[in-house]
Amino acid sequence: MAAHSRGHPAMRERGFSPAGTSPYWWIRPCAGPILFLSLLFLFLFTAAAASAAAPEEEKFTEELLLRPLPDRKALAHFHFRSSAPPAASVGRHHHIFPKAISQLVKKYHISELELSFTQGRWNYEQWGGFDPMSTNNAKPPGVELWAVFDLPLSEIDATWKNLTHTLSGLFCASINFLESSTAFSAPRWGFKLNEGNLRYGALPREAVCTENLTPWLKLLPCRDKAGIAFLLYRPSIYKGYYHSQKLKLRSSQSLGIILDQTLTVVLQPNTVSGEQLHSNHGQLQPNWSMRHLFNRKLSGKCLVSKSSRVFIEVDKSIVDNVNKSGSDLSWSNELFVLSNSPDKLIKGQNHVEIQSSFLYVYDASNYTEEKPLDVGITWKLPLVWTCTPSPFHASRFLMGSGNERGSIALSFMSTNLHKQISGSPTDCSIKAVIFQVVPWYVKVYYHSLEIFIDGSRKTVSEVVDKIHVIPSEDKLLPGTLEMLLRFPCSMQSGTLTLDFDKGFLHIDEYPPDANQGFDIPSALVSFPEFSSARSYPEIDPVLGSPLLEYFQEDSVVKSYTEVLLVPLTTPDFSMPYNVITFTCTVLALYFGSLLNALRRRIGEEERELKKTELVSM
Amino acid sequence: MAEIAGDEAPTPPPPPPISGEVSRDPYTSTPASTGSNKPPLRTTKPGVKRLILTASVLLSFLVGLPFLLKSTEIHRSPLPSDAITALAHRLHSTPPSFPCGLHAVFLRSVPDRSDASLTRRLEQSISAQLHLLPATSTAGNVSVSVTVESAGGCSSSSSNVGSGWQCGTVTSADLVIGDEVFDELLHSALGSGRWDGSMVYTVVVVETDDAEGMRVVVGKHRHAWVVGKADEVKAVSVIGKVFAKYFMNGGIEEGEAGIGKGEFMPVGSDGNVVLSFSLLNADPSDWVYDWDFEKIGERMLNPVVEALRPIVEINIESQVLYHTPKSSFSYFDDKLGGNVLSMGDIPFFVNSNEWHLDTSISATGRSKVLQFVVYIPSARECPLYLQLPDGGLSKTNAFISPMWGGVLIWNPPDCSLGSKRTHGTWKKMSSQELTETLEIFIGQLRQLFGLKPSYLSQDMDVPTKFVVSEKGFTEWELDLLYRHHACSNLLSCLTTLESLSSLVCSLPRMIVMDEIGRQVELSLEAANLAQGNATLGISDSSAGNICNKSQGIG
Repeated sequence: MAAHSRGHPAMRERGFSPAGTSPYWWIRPCAGPILFLSLLFLFLFTAAAASAAAPEEEKFTEELLLRPLPDRKALAHFHFRSSAPPAASVGRHHHIFPKAISQLVKKYHISELELSFTQGRWNYEQWGGFDPMSTNNAKPPGVELWAVFDLPLSEIDATWKNLTHTLSGLFCASINFLESSTAFSAPRWGFKLNEGNLRYGALPREAVCTENLTPWLKLLPCRDKAGIAFLLYRPSIYKGYYHSQKLKLRSSQSLGIILDQTLTVVLQPNTVSGEQLHSNHGQLQPNWSMRHLFNRKLSGKCLVSKSSRVFIEVDKSIVDNVNKSGSDLSWSNELFVLSNSPDKLIKGQNHVEIQSSFLYVYDASNYTEEKPLDVGITWKLPLVWTCTPSPFHASRFLMGSGNERGSIALSFMSTNLHKQISGSPTDCSIKAVIFQVVPWYVKVYYHSLEIFIDGSRKTVSEVVDKIHVIPSEDKLLPGTLEMLLRFPCSMQSGTLTLDFDKGFLHIDEYPPDANQGFDIPSALVSFPEFSSARSYPEIDPVLGSPLLEYFQEDSVVKSYTEVLLVPLTTPDFSMPYNVITFTCTVLALYFGSLLNALRRRIGEEERELKKTELVSM
Repeated sequence: MAEIAGDEAPTPPPPPPISGEVSRDPYTSTPASTGSNKPPLRTTKPGVKRLILTASVLLSFLVGLPFLLKSTEIHRSPLPSDAITALAHRLHSTPPSFPCGLHAVFLRSVPDRSDASLTRRLEQSISAQLHLLPATSTAGNVSVSVTVESAGGCSSSSSNVGSGWQCGTVTSADLVIGDEVFDELLHSALGSGRWDGSMVYTVVVVETDDAEGMRVVVGKHRHAWVVGKADEVKAVSVIGKVFAKYFMNGGIEEGEAGIGKGEFMPVGSDGNVVLSFSLLNADPSDWVYDWDFEKIGERMLNPVVEALRPIVEINIESQVLYHTPKSSFSYFDDKLGGNVLSMGDIPFFVNSNEWHLDTSISATGRSKVLQFVVYIPSARECPLYLQLPDGGLSKTNAFISPMWGGVLIWNPPDCSLGSKRTHGTWKKMSSQELTETLEIFIGQLRQLFGLKPSYLSQDMDVPTKFVVSEKGFTEWELDLLYRHHACSNLLSCLTTLESLSSLVCSLPRMIVMDEIGRQVELSLEAANLAQGNATLGISDSSAGNICNKSQGIG
């Protein structure tokens, strides 16, 4: 773990360093000389890492990953990493790293921060739930922000408030609504293990558009003028089914600051129907290239970037199909052909299987404006495949009717993944962690937790291993639920229900269009026993691809549930006007009749009347 | 009903109806019967009950009125508008001025009768000379003192301002050691140049028998010296001019833009300024330049930061940006052998769409950011020159924008080679080039603060030399900045307070919070204190931060 603590430069060779994830080193019979040799190697590696870390300068890399999805769509994942070495001048003098971000980190003592803007929902069934892409880049709709501060606990809340305001100015978004203590919470272990210095907040109803993308692009040295970001043609990327832009910051004394900016989009390739292969059902995979996805071609790299790569990832199921067909996995095989020959082919592995996905690597610096890169995939045979799902498919819904009370239900449907992985031992169990923040006006009764497994009711102690609840306080604190569950492997469906009462808000606290209902942020379900990390045993550590480094990081399988829409009792917003009109009517009646009574002389009128009667007679 | 009865009443013919009825219908109606229809006689005086009723309604209305007024009342914290007007009157009648002293020292080589009458005469003539010269903007009454030192002895005038001059420490023989060293020597002989809180400026007249004529050297501390053979009248006039023109006005002529001419200093109202230096690569596909700002920039700018610290807290930042084209057009000029940008296009040079110079996060609140931009043209437009209105080229190839900052166009050395495409080569600005660039920026900073970038000696009728400070600002220039900063702060504070008070008066339904009232009182207090300090001559401590609060309200 010595190599680990040195951080970023050392991380690169995790793929085959003894401290890394690959098991091969230690499977060998551990004889004395071999141990000595490996220790020597370890020493050499750490020395190499130390010498590699010596020339400290700011770096920028850009990468793009394209992947065909089973439902005729395509995934594009942009990954930009800027890093600043630890130096005294951080926050003041910068060459490539964005000054605004380093000043932010320095001013608010941030050790980790993630901000995501998402539109649309990641389709866990179709697009996968067990790969690094879905666990790291599938985000809940709207804005999600969490930050870990390097500060005494008493100062964190105030810093968080300032941070939300700064970010809201920086990204043209209403992140400042997370300032209020009713909007953020401090989870201890359900979201990410921490010592109380983490704050989490989400705004499910934040609309995401170009005004958020432009400031995000400003942080890149070349913005969208050159390099891979040039492909971000707004009408194409906002036409997609899923759009998530993310900013992740890590900072420490040894690491400096690492800024990862990712943009994940799921697009429908804009192909002309004539180009597709004919098929009976019309359900064939479309052939696409960059031009179809983005309406642009890649003309070289951003000149200040250290590396600039495009990956095409082919899923495990396709790889299996190709292997079945008997041909090798070159860029032109029995099933598909890529439009350009790749510079490199990388095999990926995940924890469970020996072989999973394939990556075709293109170096963007080999292409110029005269010879742009327009890589694409053409299918030769009709193909149907599925992505690996997460162990359980989690979804959340509301029960009950009326404006007074209801219940939240979380349901888990087994995808039978464990059978594929570990055969089927009968008495195994799968851990699941639920993290959910509920606004105070949805008053959840946590004692009313009921658990049903395959239709039969279980006691809480049978299933729940650990639970941590912060009950909500009216207009002060949101309710936070962290729960560690243990489901039997044989479980096909499980449901958790929680009852709640709907609260009343003051008339001023209602947002515009209150009748639409209130959004409850997505719950997060993670499966700590499952890791989505990939390993690339063949990859050269000198390649230094932050994207693949990121995929190799050990991260648990996570999935976000749907956002809930709770209709609350809304007051009659026209009531003040009614009151004013009623009061005015009463006053008018009172003064009108009083004046009338004062002005009229009834006796005289009667006399007059009599007289006229007499006259008429 | 009442209306209807009233309306119908005029329709019958106007003659008294009773008589008409009687005449028309004599059979059925008798006088007796009409008399029985009359109402019974009133027991009370008519109208009293009605009066009581009306009065009670009115009374209830009046009783309710205070409640009504109370319920619609608006909270307005009382503002000291009288005190504000008084301060305005005081400041307009006697503008803030700082008393300072002028000490003239005559070093005579020949033994002379140095008695009190001579010093008094010289003192009077210098005072008279000062009255003749144009009034100085921020200086108040000037107290003059004269010391005459000759081989025979040393005598000072009665009104001793006391610049700390020690007789006998400096002689005319010391002149040979050079101006810079002599400057320091004088500085050690004179001490700090402060007396009783106010500044004392010293002009030393060193009489030599050289035939070269007179020359004036203005040092970097609070003194100048005149060397040469001069008669008394000439010396007195030079002393007066040096004092009024440089020590008081910074060499700014009438009609020139500069300090004290109604321009504000680029200082945030919290007394902070961020100097943000940006290196802009217009098109990195041609060449990418980087710089070593951390080392050279800090080394060159730190003395400036230290010098200006009493006026303003300066933070320095730097960044390198890419893909930042300019937004004005330049054309190729065959004669000049490069692309030329005329003066008229300069307002469009800064491309705010593509130059994301960013306001700094560290510049919180109301502090000011001054941008200094080095623009590296792309190969297509290289070399790029600024053309002056007279057709010549700008020497520095740079321009400033008041209150915003400065721009310098830096043509890379390889652009004149006519190389077609170097294609994104990484280069670094050499330290020599960066130093030159920063020197221009320091000049621009002086200009932004209202001082002259450099002095031209032809303004005086005698040759004048200026000893340049390595800090970028000499001590007497800093005094000028202090004075001006204090005055402009005081005046802008007054303007804010006045406009706030008139706004509050003109809008009777505007809510004025207690917090605002307290802030106004605080800033008024600070303004009064600053004015008091100013009359005592304590300029650098008086008006640093007086009016932040009121400006915040505004």
